[in-house]
Amino acid sequence: MNEFNEFKPVPPPIPPVPPMPPCPPQAPLPPPPSLGSRPLGEDPAERVPITHPVAAIDAILRHPRRVMFQLRQPRAERLILIMLLVSVGCSVVYGVVAGTFSGGPQLWIAPAKISMGLMISAFICLPSLYIFTCLSGSQARLVEVCGLLSGLLLLMTILLIGFAPVAWIFSQSTDAIAWMGILHLVFWFIATAFGVRFLDAGFSHSQVRSRAGFNTWIIIFLLVAVQMTTALRPILGKADTFLPQDKKFFLAHWGDCLAAGDHGGRVR
Amino acid sequence: MHPITAIPQSVDAFLRAEPPTIHDWVMRRQLLLTACCVAVVVVGAGSYGAVMGSWREPMQALYTGLKLPMVILLTTLGNGWLNGMLAPLLGLNLTFRQSLAAVLVSFAVTSIVLGALSPVAWFIVWNTPPLTAGTTVTSPEYGFLQLTLAVFVALAGLIGNLRLYPLLRQWTSRPAAARNVLLAWLAGNLFLGSQICWVLRPFIWDVHPVQFIGPEGFHGNFFETVFNALWRLL
Repeated sequence: MNEFNEFKPVPPPIPPVPPMPPCPPQAPLPPPPSLGSRPLGEDPAERVPITHPVAAIDAILRHPRRVMFQLRQPRAERLILIMLLVSVGCSVVYGVVAGTFSGGPQLWIAPAKISMGLMISAFICLPSLYIFTCLSGSQARLVEVCGLLSGLLLLMTILLIGFAPVAWIFSQSTDAIAWMGILHLVFWFIATAFGVRFLDAGFSHSQVRSRAGFNTWIIIFLLVAVQMTTALRPILGKADTFLPQDKKFFLAHWGDCLAAGDHGGRVR
Repeated sequence: MHPITAIPQSVDAFLRAEPPTIHDWVMRRQLLLTACCVAVVVVGAGSYGAVMGSWREPMQALYTGLKLPMVILLTTLGNGWLNGMLAPLLGLNLTFRQSLAAVLVSFAVTSIVLGALSPVAWFIVWNTPPLTAGTTVTSPEYGFLQLTLAVFVALAGLIGNLRLYPLLRQWTSRPAAARNVLLAWLAGNLFLGSQICWVLRPFIWDVHPVQFIGPEGFHGNFFETVFNALWRLL
């Protein structure tokens, strides 16, 4: 006989069930991985260097993480330079479109003022951005902060180019400077909102602890840029001098423009 | 997986096409699809435009028949770059050509609906008291015609955009992204389209002799006029 056949299994006695320990408080489940929480460079496509302006435009629109990753690499200065040059080019094109409202010398004055104003605003706000992000716990280096700000400018200006046909057709058909000013401001705010979103996404990868500093900086940047339009006025209208002779706060300037619009006039 | 399908040979095939099929055309056959859509816009919107202008005289019918497709095509082109940028920024990874093709498909559907409503519009125009020397911009027959024809355009536009949404859903798993892109495109196209209409007016009639673009074409803008009218009312 096979010893296995002789084996008669006897079920072991069921041990008494010990009392269940009280459930420890459950730790919250980790959030599902999102696009922003993935480490930069995880996707091999993000590691492809950005070497020319078209690639920079494509990357900032479709693969912003690629730009963020490249800004962390050595020799990110080249990418920053590319983004700044494209930003200047795009702002010049948009400026020409804005200048068609008045025509004549404004065709070169408006692009000069818009591109200059944008770059000066960014330059003025760069130190505060770096300080505020450092205070927020960000590990971003200065070159990366410069790069993210350049990305904001690039995204903003290429979006402005997208608005340019709309701005042009309105420029050709209306005489109301207040209306055109509002239209350009709306376009600028929309473009800036997307740019700020890029900047925010960029800093989210640099271990920021608080957003308060960044939010404060956004308000500063908006105020500086808006005041810059007043400091460099007129951008849309005509004037005898390149720069204004008197100083004004932007709210006062807007009030004057709207008042002049009500009386059918143009503010210089 | 959907098989690659040929570009439709008829209007009904185009209208019956499921979103995956149109998505396939947009992805693979952009040039042919663009040509088809432009042709549909020219014929569909053109015929509706001709009906609009026929209330005044044959020359106005010809001009409006040309201008209405122009409005659609200029709006598509004018916002093409912007729409192409907004799509990826709002979560839809479309190329410029694809976004242009998608908008064009939507406008083609709108034009087909307009073309189909042309006989109805013609019947309304035919029943409207004819233009006389005493007709003014406040005449009830002119107001009625404006309102009716505008309602038809709005209806056709609504159908075109409703058709666009399922198409956009083919590119993303997130309904919110498709909805946001649709709303952004719609807002941009309405904004620019309104002003192009304003520049190319009149479409039905005005007090000046018949011209392709009226003497007031480049004076003022649509939104300024609406705002001023509202301001006066308030």
